[in-house]
Amino acid sequence: MKKVLATFAALALTAALAQPVQIGILSPLTGGAAGTGQAQLAGFQLALEEINAAGGVLGEDLEIIVEDTQANVAVGLAAFEKLMTEDGVEIIAGGYSSGVPLGLVESFRTFQPLVTWIGGASSGIGLDDFDGIEELLGEEPWFFHIHPWDYQNTEASTGFIASTGASAVAVLHEDSAFGGPGGAAAQQLVIDAGMASPLRESFTSTLFGGTGDFRAAINRAKASDADMLYWIGYDGDVVPMASQIRELDYRPQYIFGAPPGWPAEFAQSPEAECVTGLIGYLPNLPNPEAIQFRDAYVAMHNSEPNNYMAALAYANLWALADAINAAGTTEQSAVAAELESGTFTSPMGDWSFSQSVLSPRQGFGAEMWLVFQYQGGVQEIVYPAHLATAPLATCN
Amino acid sequence: MDLSLLLQAITSGLLSSGLYALVAIGLALAIGVIGIVNFAHGEFFMIGAFLTYQLAVSLGFDPLLSILVVAPLLFLLGAFLYRTTVHYVLGAPELNQMLLTFGLGIILQNLALLVWGGDPRTVPSIPYRSLSFNIGDVTVGAVMLGSFVISMLLVLGLYWLLYRTPLGRGMRAVAQSRIGASLVGLNVDRTYLVTFAVSAALAGIGGVMIAVIQSPSPTVGLTFTLKAFAIVVLAGLGNIRGIIWASVLVALAESLIANLVPNGDSLRNAVFFSIIFLVLILRGRRPA
Repeated sequence: MKKVLATFAALALTAALAQPVQIGILSPLTGGAAGTGQAQLAGFQLALEEINAAGGVLGEDLEIIVEDTQANVAVGLAAFEKLMTEDGVEIIAGGYSSGVPLGLVESFRTFQPLVTWIGGASSGIGLDDFDGIEELLGEEPWFFHIHPWDYQNTEASTGFIASTGASAVAVLHEDSAFGGPGGAAAQQLVIDAGMASPLRESFTSTLFGGTGDFRAAINRAKASDADMLYWIGYDGDVVPMASQIRELDYRPQYIFGAPPGWPAEFAQSPEAECVTGLIGYLPNLPNPEAIQFRDAYVAMHNSEPNNYMAALAYANLWALADAINAAGTTEQSAVAAELESGTFTSPMGDWSFSQSVLSPRQGFGAEMWLVFQYQGGVQEIVYPAHLATAPLATCN
Repeated sequence: MDLSLLLQAITSGLLSSGLYALVAIGLALAIGVIGIVNFAHGEFFMIGAFLTYQLAVSLGFDPLLSILVVAPLLFLLGAFLYRTTVHYVLGAPELNQMLLTFGLGIILQNLALLVWGGDPRTVPSIPYRSLSFNIGDVTVGAVMLGSFVISMLLVLGLYWLLYRTPLGRGMRAVAQSRIGASLVGLNVDRTYLVTFAVSAALAGIGGVMIAVIQSPSPTVGLTFTLKAFAIVVLAGLGNIRGIIWASVLVALAESLIANLVPNGDSLRNAVFFSIIFLVLILRGRRPA
């Protein structure tokens, strides 16, 4: 009888040990940020297929449980708590939007899973009246941030702006936790770099209830006589912003935008010509990892990965799988140690976690960003110079 | 104060009011005649925007031309949804009606997500999207002017329909008393069906315009519907005549703030809803 019980116990233990590793994914699959969320999902799906084809995690197929945040704090909170309590996952991946992780701070601290967040650039660094994600979570040993912080975004933007030789930069920014601190930091960096910035003006993004009429803000930029317009907003703001700049006959030398993504077919619009933009990944990146990612993505999804969040999601899941396999367990401190010490591959090249202003677990910095310019319907890389596929053209 | 800036603000406000009126009047029609608060109104708007996009990329339709296709399609969609769903809850408590239209909205939004994805789209190659002309120091965008003219023609056409045609008289009679209209021989159900379908068609035409101005996306209707609800409340629930003036008032207030106050664009929604609150408070204090 004892033998039978022992056999059953051993079988049960084996079964328990053979449970596949599950990772909870939080992503805005519906709502105003659905484009980005769907891109993330596509990146996760590709990584999942490749990871499992390569032997999975700890000898079993990796599983992901995807929950929709709608980029909404209340929905995101419910989704996160469902992953924690109902699904019992111990690792969270995904992300997007600064508002959601800011709203989840207390819940993150309560459950303390291993969090790898691929959006939420709002650091709070340098702002007296605003506590950002890096300030609130950056030093938590279980929080890994896989996306440049806002000051790293502006560092990259300012590097490009300075390289153009522009003398005065008007800054227009949307007024949420993404654009507000980003706009303030961008203006300061522009001034620190020796350029003038005669205007910083806010607008409400179409993502947050704006009607897409930016004429008042653009008119102010036009009146400022700045030779570069730098704007920070969301994907849905691109078309009205670009078309209203032309409509109002504002002709700066450079129009530079920093939304997370660019609308499909915008490249074919006449308004797109000469518009430059900050982006984390482009399908025409020449490095072998990028080419391999693009080809695999096209084979799986029948479309090109036009949103850099797909590439970040792909890098996110692969890093977790590699770290768990290297640790040989899902135990949090062991996986965290592997994440901290490992070097991972991504479509943007090799990467690892390093120190940012407050966080020792920061993945990707200013070096991730590229600047492209729409030229004849194509997104040509124009910055940094060593990756450029075409020289930068002026709008006049 | 800079006079040209003031004139620009007034011009922009007036031109914006057209689209507001067009979206709001469809909603007001459904509320005023059928007595149903249609939370799916914004999704008709969104479907109109996506159909415009699809007609442009698949068949090369100019958005202006696509109005001729989108409006009838949205009319049919409205009629279909009325016959298959709304019709059955007309006698139900208001909460049930709201839940139904809210659910319809979610279904339509997710269908759009399945068909067109979550990425904002662009109707490419619209030759007149960035055209403008100047009257003195005031810049008038061709798209804004066109959208204002089309919207106002449609709104005035709807007034004509309501006040000068037998169908419109029927709609107004049904709005006053469902039972009374039925007793004098009006086909109430048919009138409701046509009203709901016209409301959907008007929202669809609004969607055509937004496809030119912005990027169609599954949630593009939300902002304008929220504003349409507020305008309907401002005009008085069911008061179709008051829609134009309510639209002009809020659009002008928004534009003045956006153009005359630094960072004023961020205050648009605050101004918009402050006016609504103010009117509601004043209306509540008025003796019965």
